[in-house]
Parts: sequence; structure tokens; C-alpha cells
Amino acid sequence: MSEDRIEQEIVIDAPRERVWAILTEPEHVGDWFGQGEPAQIDLRPGGIMRLDHGEHGTFLTKIVDVEPPRRLAYRWASGFPGEVATETNSTLVEFTLAAEAAGTRLTVVESGFTTREPAPVPSADDTYESHTGGWAGVVRALKERSEKLAV
Amino acid sequence: MTTEPAAAEPAAAEPAAAEAVFAALADPTRRLILDRLSRRGDASATVLADELPVTRQAVVKHLAVLDQAGLVTARRDGRERRYRVRPAGLEATARWMDGIAAQWAARLSTIKRLAERAERPERDPA
Repeated sequence: MSEDRIEQEIVIDAPRERVWAILTEPEHVGDWFGQGEPAQIDLRPGGIMRLDHGEHGTFLTKIVDVEPPRRLAYRWASGFPGEVATETNSTLVEFTLAAEAAGTRLTVVESGFTTREPAPVPSADDTYESHTGGWAGVVRALKERSEKLAV
Repeated sequence: MTTEPAAAEPAAAEPAAAEAVFAALADPTRRLILDRLSRRGDASATVLADELPVTRQAVVKHLAVLDQAGLVTARRDGRERRYRVRPAGLEATARWMDGIAAQWAARLSTIKRLAERAERPERDPA
């Protein structure tokens, strides 16, 4: 079935090692994912990365996977400031770094918006799922169709 | 340097609403019900139960969850309640997801800028 995921990517004119450093080193993480102060990072599976999001609170992100320089994954409990991210209160954020001629293709996927209620496999006649792009697709398709009816 | 602009964060009420919508959509039967309603315009629980492999009682329960999440509305029609999809409920969630995606796009741009600056230090060759 379609996954509840958000995906974004960008091509960076720098080698993977450089991008990996930006993704994982405290002073850089503080810049792009914090308030400018170095983030506290225990960079190992099970380790905590502490993110200061100012008025939104401090987030105790739990690191899931560290494979330099190609993959970094952590759980982010964006709805629960101050609480350590667990499987039930958070989404999974996965960064993938692919080497390209021009540098590095960096992809981020945030998924698990529905994990609080596991999504069962849809029935065989639920073909509706197969040609939509994830939850955003499901939501938009329903919205568009119902708006046409409303007119 | 602050790269987490407060204005780009979703409003406090929206994630909760979106959570309810995601929870409602997590069930395949509820997605089917929404699908049928969005094709038909409106329908009663009895009609939906005739079309789907579930009991009327189950349909009524699913409709209640969808109603709670703001995804359907009901109106009385004689002795029946007729349900229809509520586009506004979907709109809020679509907007919320767009917001999350936009925040990641902004963060990736910052990462790119930092990585490329680190790669080519802007120093005068002394």
C-alpha cells in the first residue's frame, strides 16, 4: 500500500563526506536544524541528538542508523517536545547520500505519520491505492473528486 | 543563525487535526468508504454497507471516526443519515503536508549552502 511519507531531494556541489559532516556535526546541525547553537549529538544507533527549536521546544531525537557517508536515520517526536523519540510518538527521518558526477544527491524521507495506528494491507479491489502517490495523493485525489461533486 | 523560521512551522492546532485525519485514513475500509462517498456525492450507511464487504454496524462506526476527523458530514434525510465527504477536512491535511515538505526543502537548501560554502571557502588568496 502507499506509504505515508514526504520526500524531498537536492543535488549538492560537494562530496558526500562534506555533506555527511553538515548532517552530523554539532555546529552544522545547530545551523540547519536548530537555533544556531551547536546541537548535542551522540552519533550512534540508540544515541540522542538534542535539537533546540526555540519556542517550539527541545527535541530528543533518537538516532536509528549511522552509515557514513551514505545513510543517517533518526526518529523525531516533533509533536512531543522534551520527550525522547520512540516508535510510537515519532516519525522516521532518513537521509540518503548518493555520489553523483556533480557531487551529492541528498534525499530526505519523513515517514510514519500513521504509525500510531498500523495500516493494514488493503483489499484486492482497493485499486484506488495503486495509482496514487502516497498519503498526499490519497488526500488530494479525494479532495479533488469531492470538490467536483460539490460544485 | 536561525534556520527554523517560526512562521514556516504548522500552526499548533493543525498537526493534531492532521493526526486525526491520518488515523482515520489508516484503515482501508474507511478509505474505501471515503472513496465511495466521493464518487457518489452522498450515501447512507445502509447503501455503503451494501457495496462494501462489511456490516452496516461497522460502516456506522467507521463513519463516526471519519466524522470525528472532520472528513465527512451528515444530514438527516427522513429516517436516515446521509453522509458526504467534507473537502475542507482534507484541505487542512493537504496543507499541513505541504508545509512539512516545504520545511524539509528549506532545510535541504540550507544544508546545500553550508556544504558548498565549506567546500569552497570564500577566502582571498593571500
